[in-house]
Amino acid sequence: MVRFFLGFLLLQAVLFGAELTPWAQRWFVLPWTDSLAAISADLVKLFDPGVIAEGKVLQSANNGFAVSIEAGCNGVEATIVLVAAMLAFPATWTRKLVGLAVGVIAVQGLNVIRVISLFYLGQWNQEAFEFAHQYVWQALIMLDVLIVWLLWVRTLPRTVTSPARA
Amino acid sequence: MRGTSLGGFVLRVAAWLPLAFLVWYLAGPLFAFPIGLLTNGAARLAFADIVQSVEQQGHLITIVSTLKATLATTENPAGGVVSVELNALLYSFGFPMLVALTLAARQAHVLRNLLLGYVVLAPFVTWGLVAEFLKRVTFDIAPAAAAQAGFGPLQREAIAFAYQFGALILPTVAPAVYWVLTHRRFLEGFAAGDVAAEKPSQ
Repeated sequence: MVRFFLGFLLLQAVLFGAELTPWAQRWFVLPWTDSLAAISADLVKLFDPGVIAEGKVLQSANNGFAVSIEAGCNGVEATIVLVAAMLAFPATWTRKLVGLAVGVIAVQGLNVIRVISLFYLGQWNQEAFEFAHQYVWQALIMLDVLIVWLLWVRTLPRTVTSPARA
Repeated sequence: MRGTSLGGFVLRVAAWLPLAFLVWYLAGPLFAFPIGLLTNGAARLAFADIVQSVEQQGHLITIVSTLKATLATTENPAGGVVSVELNALLYSFGFPMLVALTLAARQAHVLRNLLLGYVVLAPFVTWGLVAEFLKRVTFDIAPAAAAQAGFGPLQREAIAFAYQFGALILPTVAPAVYWVLTHRRFLEGFAAGDVAAEKPSQ
């Protein structure tokens, strides 16, 4: 257990520190965020054609309301937490890689819902938008990470799933 | 072990979360009071040369610096000092998450775990508040005013990292880690739940 948590904290600090470097921001975080905005816009266009994505900004052509996807809202930090938790936990590399592939999709899937819901919440009520943006969705995304990790741990053979033995 | 079905657990978390958020938001000033005291102590102890006083109004904590405002603004009139208003809720939204997780797990010593959780997590909230104060007096005010703090390039990098870590990672990760640490037996029960579910078909 101690080994798992030390590994988790170390990996998280290293990955988070790497994420903040200009190189990672330019070649990974910004393209990732732009893709998130584009995917969100594509999904929204299925039922609301008056939506455009420009870079990391999602905007309504009807009323001009726009949301800019910033650090903390692009799911990168949540993904880092998930990656650190899965890599630090004792399991085979195959299971880790499968868990990461599925887990990242699950976390980013919910993040797309977060972006779209905030986009419409902001057009409806600014206070509700702020509350959901600053507090509720942050917690929900971390709960998503935790549940994905628990599901993954549950799929592992019992000899390595006990956190007490980890 | 009771209630180790993940679906049931998730539903219970979803049920408790809105109530936990409501209580946390309404009781914000109450929860923030000890954090304000802690912030006062930490800021004045660690940064005595740039912190003059710490004031609290509800969940808003204002750190008054010793830095002279070089430009007159509404918040900092000419001749005044730079003060930074901070929102304690921005760094403590992990509390309702912890409450929902703890209540949903239905384990023993719920109240003790939550009270201990508050004690354990309060320093992380303080970290976020102090780091935001440092970030704002380093990067967000007029360079001439910021220069009075005397932070070198390495210290500025450390402040930027501490702020980002305190704002983007700690508020949610710290409660999650605390919950995992205090619910190890419950987590072991998930694996046991799988086995129990498979038994009837064997």
